[in-house]
Amino acid sequence: MKRVIGVSAILVLASQAMAWPEKSPDSAKQTTVSLQSAAALARAVDKAVAAKCQESGIALSPQTTDAEFLRRVHLDLVGHIPTLERTRSFLASTEPDKRAKLVDELLASSDYGQHMADIWQALLLSKNSVARRLDTEVFVDWLAESFNKNQSWDNLVREIITAKGAQDKNPATTFWLSQVSVDNMTDTVCKVFLGVQLQCAQCHNHPFTGWKQDEYWGLAAFFLNVKAAPPGNKQTTSPVVSEGKFVRKKNNALPESAKVLPPKYFGGPVAKVGSSSEIRPVLADWLCADTNPYLARSMVNRLWAQMFSRGLVHPIDNIHDGNPASHPELLEDLTRRFKDGKYDVKAFLRGLCLSETYQRSSKPVEGNKDAVVDSYARMPMKVLTPEQLYDSLLLVLGSPERGAKARKADTTPVKGAKGPRAQFVAFFSGEEGADATEYQVGIPQALQLMNATRTNAPGIAVKLTGGATDPAKALESLYLATLNRKPTSSELAMARDHSKKASNARQAASDVLWALINSSEFTTNH
Amino acid sequence: MSDIISHAMSAGLNRRDAMKLATSGVAASSLSGWLPVLANAETRLTSKAKACIVLWMDGGPSHKDTFDLKPDSEGAGEFKPISTSATGVAISEHLPKLAKQMHRIALLRGMSTLEGAHPRAKYMLHTGYREGQGGIQYPALGSIVSSEVGRPEFPIPSFVSIGNRSYTSAYLGPRHQPLVVADPSLGVANLKSSLEGNQFDARVSLLENMEAGFRREYPIGAGLDHQVNYQRAVTMMKSREAAAFDLSKEPDNMHELYGSSKFGKGCLLARRLVETGVKFVEVNLGGWDTHLDNFERVKKLSGTIDQPASALLDDLAARGMLDSTLVIWMGDFGRTPKINTRGEKPGRDHFPRAWTSWMAGGGVKGGRVIGRTDKQGGTVEDRPIAVIDFMATVCTLMGIDPTKQIQTPIGRPIRLVDKGHKLIEVC
Repeated sequence: MKRVIGVSAILVLASQAMAWPEKSPDSAKQTTVSLQSAAALARAVDKAVAAKCQESGIALSPQTTDAEFLRRVHLDLVGHIPTLERTRSFLASTEPDKRAKLVDELLASSDYGQHMADIWQALLLSKNSVARRLDTEVFVDWLAESFNKNQSWDNLVREIITAKGAQDKNPATTFWLSQVSVDNMTDTVCKVFLGVQLQCAQCHNHPFTGWKQDEYWGLAAFFLNVKAAPPGNKQTTSPVVSEGKFVRKKNNALPESAKVLPPKYFGGPVAKVGSSSEIRPVLADWLCADTNPYLARSMVNRLWAQMFSRGLVHPIDNIHDGNPASHPELLEDLTRRFKDGKYDVKAFLRGLCLSETYQRSSKPVEGNKDAVVDSYARMPMKVLTPEQLYDSLLLVLGSPERGAKARKADTTPVKGAKGPRAQFVAFFSGEEGADATEYQVGIPQALQLMNATRTNAPGIAVKLTGGATDPAKALESLYLATLNRKPTSSELAMARDHSKKASNARQAASDVLWALINSSEFTTNH
Repeated sequence: MSDIISHAMSAGLNRRDAMKLATSGVAASSLSGWLPVLANAETRLTSKAKACIVLWMDGGPSHKDTFDLKPDSEGAGEFKPISTSATGVAISEHLPKLAKQMHRIALLRGMSTLEGAHPRAKYMLHTGYREGQGGIQYPALGSIVSSEVGRPEFPIPSFVSIGNRSYTSAYLGPRHQPLVVADPSLGVANLKSSLEGNQFDARVSLLENMEAGFRREYPIGAGLDHQVNYQRAVTMMKSREAAAFDLSKEPDNMHELYGSSKFGKGCLLARRLVETGVKFVEVNLGGWDTHLDNFERVKKLSGTIDQPASALLDDLAARGMLDSTLVIWMGDFGRTPKINTRGEKPGRDHFPRAWTSWMAGGGVKGGRVIGRTDKQGGTVEDRPIAVIDFMATVCTLMGIDPTKQIQTPIGRPIRLVDKGHKLIEVC
């Protein structure tokens, strides 16, 4: 179970997390600046969203209840529902700024880095037959640590782009080791860091955007000298990434459509590179420069999507002139703020969480029932990712342990996925790049959730109720532990009706818990 | 059941499918200008097949030791050819029962593919695309079949893979993922509730009441899809069709016919599933990666497939199902015409350039050989078959247009089978 952190500890942790310049002479002052900028960011979001809704005559849904906010912000920032204890304490608290404090508590929790690592390892590592042999744990741990210490996004990207050496010494190299070919490297860099889908231009000029094939192979030229030795079947030494001229053999040949061109910045001029020097650092300089239009915008769009289910530009990695943002000025404004804040990811997320737009209920009201999803007149309802579902189920059902430990718990080599968490995630994963609001689970997964031994374990429900003899109290515990809210009076009545059919109180509690964890309300982030 | 769910179910669509249908329709008209549809060659095929069973030989079977023997060549190996029920067609002596089925089988001796490493070859032979091509994931053939000809109201998934994970449905969505049966004797994992009496039904009814409440407050897509999916899962648990996964329902003589091996049981399960209405079943048999000890192992593996594969064809024919069921035998690739002597016992290595697969039933005209390799079995001299030819042929036999474009979630139009195919003249 998650450790409940005392309020004073939270404040200390939160202020550490908020100090964005690494060697600040006056971190208290910086904290104030960060808090102010978060509030300003929230206001900018609310203004832009409200203005557009007003223009289109769309009504805004009211603000969330405390219970709705608690569950949502947990899932979005730390990747699991709140514990029963945290649910009780948050709902009972009368502090006026308890929502802002909760945001800071979550951003300071180590589960934040774990959740960010879950999201980013899926984006950064290519899924292919070579990558399946890679040890990706070191990379996930490294990502989690980087996000937890709130390394600025441009620095993190630079470390990845320029990564070299042995994987066990420099986990960032895993990014390159998972990309099996130059076109694979080019596609991923474009998609993840630039926010553009350039793959079409690998073989022909892009049909919609005017991007030419030369644009693709000009960017690909930065990666021609990257040598990433994939791990062999029985290899014992750590695989290595290096950069330098090497002979291409059949197994790493360029695709037929390849054009050999000098390195050229995407949408920009040909790069000036020395003949002997490594060229990825040159690309990193361009990517992380203040004048670069892509990196910050792409990250802003992704962070927005993490919280709001979709990017301001949608699809998230398809930013181009023909596909405008839902709120173009807001995207520009947020990008500028993200750059001005030195690419501070936590500060940016804090700003989004504090906005009324983020804290709006997902329940439709009169006047926004048919509103388009990107009006943000109400919060889009997201489906839990496999990782969120697994970690949340574990919180309710108990051990095996959550997070990093769970991934390492089982070292038996199972095809593709290592450990129970990875197995679950692989089994529940939907299509790549699917909409976060789309339900992706099929019949075999529903069968597992309904009928597996773990979801039927008879003792758990009784344990969660803490031995309460009052049926209403017991029921309240089950609702608080799973849906993180109290049951309504009609839900109490429904459960009472059901328990009349059950043979005893223990069985009735198990039945209710079973129904709760199999419900759409549990499965979604609303 | 509530009106809204039963309406969605009776329409056979969930919201997501309906949306996909709508977008692909729009795409088809607006994109017709920039990807010209190639007119296909003259080959005319029937589209009689209503289901497909793939016998997947994992690891890549040696063509020279199974269906394309070269007795006088260098590296001929130890096996002798025997004559078959098809005039002039000889296969390995270790496949005596399949020899008697050869009048039903079209041998494709001109398979010629490009991938020589297992994972990439398997990916390509399952999806028709090179792994990583264009930077996206491609659906497995079974998922394509499920999506194109599967009945949406059918209570069990239309794509079942027995003994292995197979490949995913990619952009076709979760509805068309394979249902994986790890062990045919055990059936589908978690298909039955462990609860006694009517406790499961009571729970489901409690869940339905909860869902009705949630739906009133949040009339939003994902919640409804979740409820439809659970409804499908419960329907499957209680359906007559789910009994198809239970091999104990087969009489003793059927168990004898197919044999007691896991592969044999897989073939029997495949027949039961197809009989029930499943559209695509893959039955896996591993062990064909015979770098070492090729001859002993291929002899043994030949023994493993001979009886069950023959039984499958006989059984389908006896039930009048062979004409509507396409049976395919294939693997990752073939194996080197020359014998390696690296180990203590002779072996053969990966060889994608020339190899053999076969098709039977589903309108395929048997008793013949399509394609020819040279004296060594190392080069295709007549009618080479590329992966896209193979995929397009299977699609066409099943009444699926291989040139059809599907809109991926990010709006890219992707053909079911990559352009440039030539249908194999199997009918």
